[in-house]
Amino acid sequence: MDVKKPASQENLNGDESESQISHLALDIGGSLIKVVYFLRSNGSGGSVDDSGKKSDPVLEGRLHFAKFETSKINDCLEFIRSKNLHLAGFRHHDASASDKTLIKATGGGAYKFADLIKEKLGVVLDKEDEMDCLVTGANFLLKAVHQEAFTYVDGQKEFVQIDQNDLYPYLLVNIGSGVSMIKVDGDGKFERISGTSVGGGTFWGLGRLLTNCKSFDELLELSHQGNNRVIDMLVGDIYGGSEYSKIGLTSTNIASSFGKAISDNKELKDYKPEDVARSLLRMISNNIGQISYLNALRFGLKRIFFAGFFIRGHAYTMDTISVAVSFWSKGDAKAMFLRHEGFLGALGAFVSYENHGLGGLKTHQSVQQFAVSKTYAGKKICCLVNEDLNDNESIDFGVAFAA
Amino acid sequence: MPSMHRSGSRPQLDLSKAAIQGNFEVKNPTILLPNQSDDISHLALDIGGSLIKLVYFSRHEDQSIDDKRKKTIKERLGISNGNRRSYPILGGRLHFVKFETTKISECLDFIHSKQLHRGGIHATGGGAYKFADLFKERLGVSLDKEDEMDCLVAGANFLLKAIRHEAFTHMEGQKEFVQIDTNDLFPYLLVNIGSGVSMIKVDGDGKFERVSGTNVGGGTYWGLGRLLTKCKSFDELLELSQRGDNRDHRHIGLSASTIASSFGKTISDKKELADYRPEDISLSLLRMISYNIGQISYLNALRFGLKRIFFGGFFIRGHAYTMDTISFAVQFWSKGEAQAMFLRHEGFLGALGAFMSYEKHGLDDLMVHQLVERFPMGAPYTGGRIHGPPLGDLNEKISWMEKFVLKGTEITAPVPMAPSGTTGLGGFEVPLSKGSTLRSDASALNVGVLHLVPTLEVFPLLADPKMYEPNTIDLADRSELEYWFTVLSEHLPDLVDKAVASEGGTDDAKRRGDAFARAFSAHLARLMEEPAAYGKLGLANLLELREECLREFQFLDAYRSIKQRENEASLAVLPDLLVELDSMSKETRLLMLIEGVLAANIFDWGSRACVDLYHKGTIIEIYRMSRNKMQRPWRVDDFDAFKERMLGSGDNKPRPHKRALLFVDNSGADVVLGMLPLARELLRRGTEVVLVANSLPALNDITAMELPDIVAEAAKHCDILRRAAEAGGLLVDAMINTLDGSKENSPSVPLMVVENGCGSPCIDLRQVSSELAAAAKNADLIILEGMGRALHTNFNARFKCEALKLAMVKNQRLAEKLIKGNIYDCVCRYEPAR
Repeated sequence: MDVKKPASQENLNGDESESQISHLALDIGGSLIKVVYFLRSNGSGGSVDDSGKKSDPVLEGRLHFAKFETSKINDCLEFIRSKNLHLAGFRHHDASASDKTLIKATGGGAYKFADLIKEKLGVVLDKEDEMDCLVTGANFLLKAVHQEAFTYVDGQKEFVQIDQNDLYPYLLVNIGSGVSMIKVDGDGKFERISGTSVGGGTFWGLGRLLTNCKSFDELLELSHQGNNRVIDMLVGDIYGGSEYSKIGLTSTNIASSFGKAISDNKELKDYKPEDVARSLLRMISNNIGQISYLNALRFGLKRIFFAGFFIRGHAYTMDTISVAVSFWSKGDAKAMFLRHEGFLGALGAFVSYENHGLGGLKTHQSVQQFAVSKTYAGKKICCLVNEDLNDNESIDFGVAFAA
Repeated sequence: MPSMHRSGSRPQLDLSKAAIQGNFEVKNPTILLPNQSDDISHLALDIGGSLIKLVYFSRHEDQSIDDKRKKTIKERLGISNGNRRSYPILGGRLHFVKFETTKISECLDFIHSKQLHRGGIHATGGGAYKFADLFKERLGVSLDKEDEMDCLVAGANFLLKAIRHEAFTHMEGQKEFVQIDTNDLFPYLLVNIGSGVSMIKVDGDGKFERVSGTNVGGGTYWGLGRLLTKCKSFDELLELSQRGDNRDHRHIGLSASTIASSFGKTISDKKELADYRPEDISLSLLRMISYNIGQISYLNALRFGLKRIFFGGFFIRGHAYTMDTISFAVQFWSKGEAQAMFLRHEGFLGALGAFMSYEKHGLDDLMVHQLVERFPMGAPYTGGRIHGPPLGDLNEKISWMEKFVLKGTEITAPVPMAPSGTTGLGGFEVPLSKGSTLRSDASALNVGVLHLVPTLEVFPLLADPKMYEPNTIDLADRSELEYWFTVLSEHLPDLVDKAVASEGGTDDAKRRGDAFARAFSAHLARLMEEPAAYGKLGLANLLELREECLREFQFLDAYRSIKQRENEASLAVLPDLLVELDSMSKETRLLMLIEGVLAANIFDWGSRACVDLYHKGTIIEIYRMSRNKMQRPWRVDDFDAFKERMLGSGDNKPRPHKRALLFVDNSGADVVLGMLPLARELLRRGTEVVLVANSLPALNDITAMELPDIVAEAAKHCDILRRAAEAGGLLVDAMINTLDGSKENSPSVPLMVVENGCGSPCIDLRQVSSELAAAAKNADLIILEGMGRALHTNFNARFKCEALKLAMVKNQRLAEKLIKGNIYDCVCRYEPAR
């Protein structure tokens, strides 16, 4: 990763020789803490780009991503300390403001854990608006990272090349506990236009009550093995197996989620938790897909990107949402996902360093020329949560610090 | 199996079949036919996943044509005898019944017991396929399957066009009926919430498209709810939700952020399912689903630019919280631009639509004014809940009422009986606070029986029929409602006494009297709890409900003997009064006549104050006392303007009116000593007079059936009345002793009697008899007399012709409210032609 660093920004890391690190940003959510940090590559410095034009000095380095469960925040703090990441913030612009190091953070936990972090790491969290970070992160990824967005159809991931000049406006659907739908018109230009309370929290909450699963992932895993037809009332169940094509429904369409639980004399314990989980997942994904599509339609948005912990790279949730969007749009629209979807907030917080104290840090177009390479950080850092491909990769890229 | 719906052209129903099956339907008096058995039925079903909805039509024979008065009035008014044939439909009733689909056997028994399947069965809903064989096997008929969506739309269109107070909004517990201009109905979004949800864009009759839907619907609520709470029925689950903890979400109010995540709390808690109250789960579930439906519906309405969203389907069930939540969602997401509306017959759209699919139901041409909705007790058609076998006859109905009273609220009542604290007969306590409890069974009696009365018409002299509102008192005002309920309750024991006496005071009569009192008290309690339960509630509706309730328990004329006695007493003194009047000058006489009308209007059994008076003196004494009290100016006194119009001033001699419609009120002195002399004066001036009286008894009001005899009796002593009555065809067969044979040959303008089409002490001029409508065509003066027709209703009505409203106010509160006066104040309001 190249970071062009203007000479005037001498104070970026205090003593640069002491650390390779440039930045650290956190997104502390209700269930996960997402960490984004930048490590400089050795031997980089001011350079001249390919065109031969004299340019600003560039720092090359690598963006790393890591996740921890919020309940294990101490592991996270230990991880930061062990890597000295907390020294990577920036000193307050006003030199007189003691030696406080500010770390960019977002998410509800940025408030909740501020004191703990101050105590343990001696750094102050600089809180960034969640929605701002989300959008900034998404914009950054969609513009800066090649092959970031993809569709997911019938289990097949297909990367979508997005023309940067034709990116806006788009709909960003962030599925956390609840769901936020954000219309994004440009950098820093966005509006929350809708949402729904039926989101990941509903899946996990209802799912917990219905299945006694101990974790979200366990529930998701269960759902993968289930058959929703056992509990859902399908169009065919109502119409005696005949299709109701006149209104564009087929016998296998779900007419009523959990509708079969009405007529059966079965109780909860008579149903397999797998089937219950699957019905639940389909219900919620379908609903989010529908409301998202209707909102995209309403504002004439061509693209819908889904993100948030509900997705978390889980094939099955992506699949159901894709099916829903395709169904409701009659094939006109396709759901898209982001490879780094879990890190939008943290990335946004990271990028927001540009806006503070560094005199207009700016992502240059040139970053695109840097290919993405993946490293499997998970292999190295055992305390990180799950080993998913997406989670622990790092991206090489350059950030230009323009004066 | 006769297939009557396939043969012939309009009129639709094959009369020849009527006699074959005999009386399979109960006697159930209606406004058209007090003692007539129901005739041929049409049946339509909507067999859904959880409920079976039935709509069936029972025809009623037209009223007997032997009525002498009717025959002559038809000739007089130029209504040809064949005219009735041209009516597109025959009178009858539409009944609405529900059964749980799991209890389909009960449903089949019901159909069989009433032989409703004789005319074939039109069916819609998924079950029409699933249960086709069962119907074939049990009833021997094949179901004619109708497309579900077609039916929904046809049903909704029919309701929105034909029923005046069908659509309403429901915000924060408040129901408000919305008057829909039928010319501006389309396009709209119809959201039908059954097991799943269908969203249909409706552009016109038969023109619609299913634009969207959601699989998160009633089945989801019930299915998930069952798994999470172990409830045994949908209603039980719904009821649970009422006790759910709503504190955190004061009103669903809540900015949307209040519920960031439905069921999201259960993530972090360490609790298990067993640790949560089923009530809270049910409520959360209900809120999640209702809110979601509201949101998706709005987005779809927006997408197609639809102004109105109507929500129907069994999920709603009149449940206040559900409606509030949906309304809130629509309002929230539309930022107040859109409003959710609901339909009173919400569960019956499909069944009604299937019914419409009968080729010759004739309902297409039905107009709003030809439908009268009634809410009888104890019948199985009351929506929402199923309770036992259908009540076959009056006796069963009474038994049921008795049993109900014994067991209290254990029996599921079609009318939720008054909550504890309600005393059966007189009076009841007001529910603590409205809206503090959420009702789950609010729809229990929201759906009545629709009476199709093709002969009803809009009164043609209304200045602006669209703006016309009959009720003067708006019972949406809680204090008004409480007041009138108290008045009616206090009057009830006396009414029961009269009713029982009118039937000879037998044990049977007493039993029916008790049942009536209980039934009517239950209606009152029900309305007290939810004033809009039966549609928009006005005083006129309440008073009519009481009369209908009496008729339901076969008290056909509770005041029969009283009316007779008073008529005789009044007729005895009429000759003296006429002599007295004839000795006066025109000016004095006119004043005396109007004064007489106002004075005689004191005889009103509907007024508590007057009932007390009755116990104190004879009719004539009261009349004289009342007259002596008449001191002008009256509280509302337009007499001079009226006199000017009648007699002119100076050289100005105004032309007499061509025809006057006199809406009469009470029997006895009121009509005999008040209105008849006034009619006589008009006749004398060469004005045709049409006496307009009730079709059916209401309190001591005179009826159109009774009037001809009274006129004939009066005519014995008055030549003017005699000749006019003869000219009007009222004395065709009567043996009259003429007082003065020498004037036999001089022609007279006619005196006629027409029925008004009502059986209530008030009159809604949007629904009057065809003969009144015909009589109105040449009329240039309307005289409305009495509290019911001139004050409670029509006080603010405006007419195309001149109108005179005469009444004595026999109620202190009304006097204060309406004319800022006191009890026994008089109203003489004259309104020139518009």
